[in-house]
Amino acid sequence: MPAQASSKHALKTSLQTAYAAASAEQPSSLPTREEQDKYLEGRPRATTHHLGIALQHAHQIQAQKDAEEMILDRIIELLALPSSPSADPATPSPQDAQLFKSALYPFRPSDYDSLVEERNNEDLCGYGLCPRKNRKDHYGQGQSFRFKYGAKGTGPGGRGRSVDIVPSDNIEKWCSDQCAERALYIRVQLGERPVWERRANDTHAKNIQLLEEGRAKSQKSKVESSKAALRTPQLDGGGDMMAGMRNLNIQDNERSEELALERGDTGRIHRHGRVGVHVKENELSEHSSASAPQPRPEDALGGSIEGYVPQDRRDKESTANQADLLDQI
Amino acid sequence: MDGEIAQHGGESDREMTRLWRTWRTVYEMLADRGYEVSDEELQLSLNDFRNKYADPMGYPDRTKMKIQARPTELMKMKYTPLPSKSNPDPQPDCGTIYVDFCPDSSGVGTKQVRAFNHIVDESNFHTGVFITQTPISPSAVRLLSGVPGRICEHFQEQDLLVNITRHELVPKHVLLSPEEKGKLLERYRLKESQLPRMQVSDPVARYLGLRRGQVVKIIRKSETAGRYASYRWVI
Repeated sequence: MPAQASSKHALKTSLQTAYAAASAEQPSSLPTREEQDKYLEGRPRATTHHLGIALQHAHQIQAQKDAEEMILDRIIELLALPSSPSADPATPSPQDAQLFKSALYPFRPSDYDSLVEERNNEDLCGYGLCPRKNRKDHYGQGQSFRFKYGAKGTGPGGRGRSVDIVPSDNIEKWCSDQCAERALYIRVQLGERPVWERRANDTHAKNIQLLEEGRAKSQKSKVESSKAALRTPQLDGGGDMMAGMRNLNIQDNERSEELALERGDTGRIHRHGRVGVHVKENELSEHSSASAPQPRPEDALGGSIEGYVPQDRRDKESTANQADLLDQI
Repeated sequence: MDGEIAQHGGESDREMTRLWRTWRTVYEMLADRGYEVSDEELQLSLNDFRNKYADPMGYPDRTKMKIQARPTELMKMKYTPLPSKSNPDPQPDCGTIYVDFCPDSSGVGTKQVRAFNHIVDESNFHTGVFITQTPISPSAVRLLSGVPGRICEHFQEQDLLVNITRHELVPKHVLLSPEEKGKLLERYRLKESQLPRMQVSDPVARYLGLRRGQVVKIIRKSETAGRYASYRWVI
């Protein structure tokens, strides 16, 4: 099936956008007449509308399966990094770093953990760009915790060394404390939300930084911000909101397409968003003063209570009516 | 020095015995599922097992431990779907099973599972059972279940140390053929979704290798009725 193959291929490059593009390739989102009939045959009260909904859900599930498969493939790919056995995890080669970062985009923290576990199974440090082995201390059985000593002067009261008791599993995942820090720095940048639910503007996990990059950037920005603070006085942002409100446009075709793309549902909806939006303001008339209530003849006996006339009063009225009739005769 | 050797021997002996129990349970499992298994294989004694599968040090050699079995006619009948308009002559959905013991004692991941999948795929086995000493990683589980057109199962050695279905509190589970299932549904005027359910991950379902959509009959002893049958739809 060429259509499926191409969509699958596209899915491997970038998710939501590619998925939307792949589904846009097939303008008739409903299947052929025969398949429709086959679906409707066993279901007496189903319509093509139901079929459409069923298909939409099926596509979602398929996208989810594809994404999971892709993550698995990527875990296996990342086991082969770094490309040279003498690479330095502090200064990885640009290709490796790029590959590593782009491959991690669809990962959730739990996926990342299983990557670390797989690397450890292969006797590699858990950090993807480190070629060394993970450390293994053989203290025998039952030694599942380790003491970890901090630097001098970190202890209580600024004297001595701090001591942490750490599960040995956590230590044996990495080759060194530096690699542990690098790996966990990546882990906290990953998004919790599974990739098939993410929106196109979800930048959370798009720009993953390595620890070294993050440090370099934060130093630079610190310098710059201190310079900027010296140069320009702070601007007041109060007037911006009014201007923004004035520019607000509810029915903007371009923006609504963007919105549809964000939602990942460009497949089978209108070009101009999901529904047409018509804003209808309430009209305020010029002379809108309510007049005071006037007593009406039927209110003489107290009137009805929201349309209900009590029994005794009804009887009275009917006898009165009869009396009137007799008079007429 | 002597004591050390004796201790060493004791350890290897213990591992050998444990593995022998697992081995027997695997054969019982194959027989219960309906594969062709001979009586000698079922009643292999510990000594014979040791002679056959021990390495010179007295430890079990798992690389030698591989099992293949073919389904019996009865099993083929149970796994043949009912003929339909589009498929008037259905073939049984079962075939040769292959059991492999993983020799690695720790850290079983995608590498070993990929090798196993490769063997299953290349030799064209219908079902594969992968038995390891330790739990396997989550991505390995996903990889194992993702082989298209084949069924790959995973057990830990300690799961099969005793045969759970021989326990007195576990009732007898009998798989119904599609025909029997049809009759059951007709007799009680049910849709299959109206039956009580059972998960595929249920220990007995895993032991019997049940698949989604099958129905098992569970026969219990009853104080008032003698025997009591109930049915479960596997989901």
